[in-house]
Amino acid sequence: MVALARKTLIYEWRRFLPAILAVGFAGLLQLLQAALVLGIFGSASVYITGSSADLWAGYPGTQSVNLGRSIDSGVEMRLRMDPAVAAVEPFHWVDADWRGPSDTGGVSVFVSGINARPEGMLFAHALSPALRARLNEPDAVIVDRADLDSLGVGIGDTAVINGHRVRVVGVSNGLRALGGVNVVASLATAAELDTDPSNASRMTYFVAKLRDPADADEVAARLRGNRAFGSYDVWTAESFARRSQLYWMFDTGAGAGVLFLAGVVFLVGAVITSQTLVAAVIGSVREYATLNALGVGVGALRKVVMEQAFWVGALGLLGSTVLGGIALALARSRSVPVALGPWTTLACLALCMGLAIVSGLAAMRSLRRADPATLLR
Amino acid sequence: MSSISLQARNVTKSFTSGPIHNTVLHNLTLDMRAGELTLISGPSGCGKSTLLAILSGLQRPDAGQVLALGQDLAELNTHALERFRLQHTGFVFQGFNLFPALNALEQVELPLSYLGLAPGEARRRAMASLEEVGLGPRMSLRPSELSGGEKQRVAIARALAKEPDLLFADEPTSALDAANGQIIIDILHRIARTHGTTVLCVSHDPRLVGHADRVLAMEDGRILSDRVPSPTSTPTSGLEEPSA
Repeated sequence: MVALARKTLIYEWRRFLPAILAVGFAGLLQLLQAALVLGIFGSASVYITGSSADLWAGYPGTQSVNLGRSIDSGVEMRLRMDPAVAAVEPFHWVDADWRGPSDTGGVSVFVSGINARPEGMLFAHALSPALRARLNEPDAVIVDRADLDSLGVGIGDTAVINGHRVRVVGVSNGLRALGGVNVVASLATAAELDTDPSNASRMTYFVAKLRDPADADEVAARLRGNRAFGSYDVWTAESFARRSQLYWMFDTGAGAGVLFLAGVVFLVGAVITSQTLVAAVIGSVREYATLNALGVGVGALRKVVMEQAFWVGALGLLGSTVLGGIALALARSRSVPVALGPWTTLACLALCMGLAIVSGLAAMRSLRRADPATLLR
Repeated sequence: MSSISLQARNVTKSFTSGPIHNTVLHNLTLDMRAGELTLISGPSGCGKSTLLAILSGLQRPDAGQVLALGQDLAELNTHALERFRLQHTGFVFQGFNLFPALNALEQVELPLSYLGLAPGEARRRAMASLEEVGLGPRMSLRPSELSGGEKQRVAIARALAKEPDLLFADEPTSALDAANGQIIIDILHRIARTHGTTVLCVSHDPRLVGHADRVLAMEDGRILSDRVPSPTSTPTSGLEEPSA
């Protein structure tokens, strides 16, 4: 079998280049957009995904982890009473105002008061034990490396949070927040910084570790709905993280924006690719018509066009994968929040291959001009 | 005398463009024999290409019947007609219509692969056809590296390799100089003789007349004369031949 589609693609590569580039850049845009969105909105749940807790107990209806309201401290007892629970610890969230030593004005910060002991669950994945240990010093805080400039501090500097003096004892990586800046402190320091008197003897969240994490759904269902300790709800870490991300993605309109942009990228890519493929078909229409005169069926000719579309898609995707990989590596090295799982990658690449196939189908229509009778004149 | 392989019976074809109704073929009847090179000559617009299109099954007549190898082409649907063309007919066009990306051997092999031949057999046949048209040493060259005459020979090899019973050629020499035109018509003639193929050639090129076994002169959609251009050059009887 003569590989007409591939040989033509190689011999007339200049003709196909625009289509390959269109698919490649469409793929690159989809990949980077997905990675950025997932990275940025993934940081909405960094408190949950960076911690080792299996269950989260907080105010009922809380839509995102940063919107927590305080619950009764007695909930801790309720959690401890359940035999499946191995450990419980509080999480004290304080919305605060930062004034640094440099001229940065007021900065809105989120103070996370956590158990600083080595076995603490909060930020177990995000902070090293040595770093956590430094929080035990009075008024010690940790900020993210990416926020040092906006806070106007370096390690060892002092600043003022809610009128209380604190000292930066270390920097973390990957604790960037959405809509503000994360500051990590010990529970004791956080309590000092919380100026709201109604929060006395109350806590924003209690997190729990289970003896068997696989039971999380079942235990969460069992623990919620008990009103003896006031209103509270219990979620598995997984569902609370997803809920926080979806809140940011859709309540901010960003999700709709991303989908819209993905649609635009698809459309533009498809228009360029299909026009290029149509031009390629028309350029060879007399040869196709000759084959048809010799009895090669229209179906077989369509297959040639679709094979070209497939190779255009494959080459474009190869390009976007390589460029995307480089771009993501660069983004990571610059602390730009990007996250891309295998399924998302596959979905983006599949979308672009779909783009090439749709374009091929559009180009196939111009084979109608390959009527051998037009060759006789 | 060899058998009749292609017949037209009372074929009529007309085209309508806007208010103008133009009859291109007027109730034509003719028979063609295997092993002969039949030349249809006439001025442009006389309907000779339309006749070729209808006889080869590329177009359907408005009225009348075409019998190719005993098969009524009107009975075949589009797919069956493609199948029929694949198995029995070859074409050579005025433009050579070769794929720029393929070398001569691949141009000839391409249609063969759709015939369901094994790759080895397709290659063997393609090479034999190229040898037959005298392109054996140049079969690895692409169209851009071949002269016009060589390209037309590749196109003939492409049609010939299918071993067709019917070979149609539309103005095969009009893009070529005299010497190359001579070579092409000689090859077509030889194919008719040695393979027993029915070769139907349409041309307004008067230089070809002497090379044909039979010349049909056409004008205004009618056949004016039907003669054998032998040294005696006696025109045969009328417009119609007795049916087989």
